[in-house]
Amino acid sequence: MQDRYSRQELFPPIGKEGQAKIRAKHVLLIGAGALGSGNAEVLTRAGVGKLTIIDRDYVEASNLQRQQLYTEEDVIEKLPKAAAAFKRLRAIDSSVDIRPIIGDANVEMLEELINEIDLIIDATDNFETRMMINDLSQKYKIPWIYGACVGSFGMSFTIIPGKTPCLNCLLQSIPIQGMTCDTGGIIGPTVQMVIAHQSAEALKILVEDWEAVRASFVSFDVWRNQYNSMKMSRAKKQHCLSCGEQPTYPYLELENQTKTTVLCGRDTVQIRPPKQQNLVLSELAEQLKRLGYEVKGNPYLLSVEWPENRIVIFQDGRALIHGTKDLTQAKTIYQKILG
Amino acid sequence: MNKILFFAHLRDVAGSESIEMQVDGKTVAELKEEIMTKFGFQKLDTVMTAINEEFTSDDDIIQEGDTIAFIPPVSGG
Repeated sequence: MQDRYSRQELFPPIGKEGQAKIRAKHVLLIGAGALGSGNAEVLTRAGVGKLTIIDRDYVEASNLQRQQLYTEEDVIEKLPKAAAAFKRLRAIDSSVDIRPIIGDANVEMLEELINEIDLIIDATDNFETRMMINDLSQKYKIPWIYGACVGSFGMSFTIIPGKTPCLNCLLQSIPIQGMTCDTGGIIGPTVQMVIAHQSAEALKILVEDWEAVRASFVSFDVWRNQYNSMKMSRAKKQHCLSCGEQPTYPYLELENQTKTTVLCGRDTVQIRPPKQQNLVLSELAEQLKRLGYEVKGNPYLLSVEWPENRIVIFQDGRALIHGTKDLTQAKTIYQKILG
Repeated sequence: MNKILFFAHLRDVAGSESIEMQVDGKTVAELKEEIMTKFGFQKLDTVMTAINEEFTSDDDIIQEGDTIAFIPPVSGG
């Protein structure tokens, strides 16, 4: 299709040369929920060469309010998000090589793909996967773009190995009980604003306009009209285990990943977080009750009636997901609640 | 005097977008402790802190006139 990218080529920082660079690149998008849908659409319309999309979930009615690639038909068919995204993106631009992967993004899967990847975009909903992306990014020297949102609050940061601090410098440990869209709600405009920040950074990186890449950590609240740009010049940690002088890439180790086990004969999956947690169960119970879930509890555990499953969460972060033997489904539910 | 800004759900817990407090001479970690007691925050150890819009670590010392922002990393996507 002629002229397809002409308006983007007229934009001086891209031009015909930049367009050719965009076409030559392969982007890995991890997650095809709200941020994944939006980033995928921007990059496909922009004519990226290859786009690999990994997602473990399927389309549900509660996704349609903000996940822009999906339709009612996808909900009725219970299509996996990666497959539904592929269908829609191919209709948008058939010249882009879209590669959907239906599955749980783990170290093994990603290490197989990563050699041909130019950029990773984070569209996940949990910090465990983000820390793994962060370590892979450092190990294989591939930039990645963090993005996250909940309610009317969103944030993004671009991580370039050897140049910027990494996510492990900023967080030092995995925040658990971070607010998620399933506990704190989410509105469409927040999603769109995070997508705008992530995809603009993506285009800069794809055309190799490194000077234009944003060095600050942005966060904003589209409802309360706050916008914060945090300078990161002092954030890099010399002894960071992911990007410091002697990196060990701790989040690529199996022991630092969530363990899932099917409990024999019980139609139940046990989830154990990498580190023992000290959850504030009363706070979690309140959040879930506000959302209309039936929650019962005592000082040691919470029992939550989730659609089709009953979930028991212990104070140390361990959980039992009843009503399934599917490890990926169980982990998905767990991370929807605990981030 | 110092200005303290709260983002995301911290704002809801604190009941206000910003407050004024005299906290110069304290470290960020000490301020976190004080704020936790004052407002009943459950956990602030993984909350990012900026002083005058610059990322800071827990042992940085707050100066007179500094604006301190608490930004909780969020997870949804």
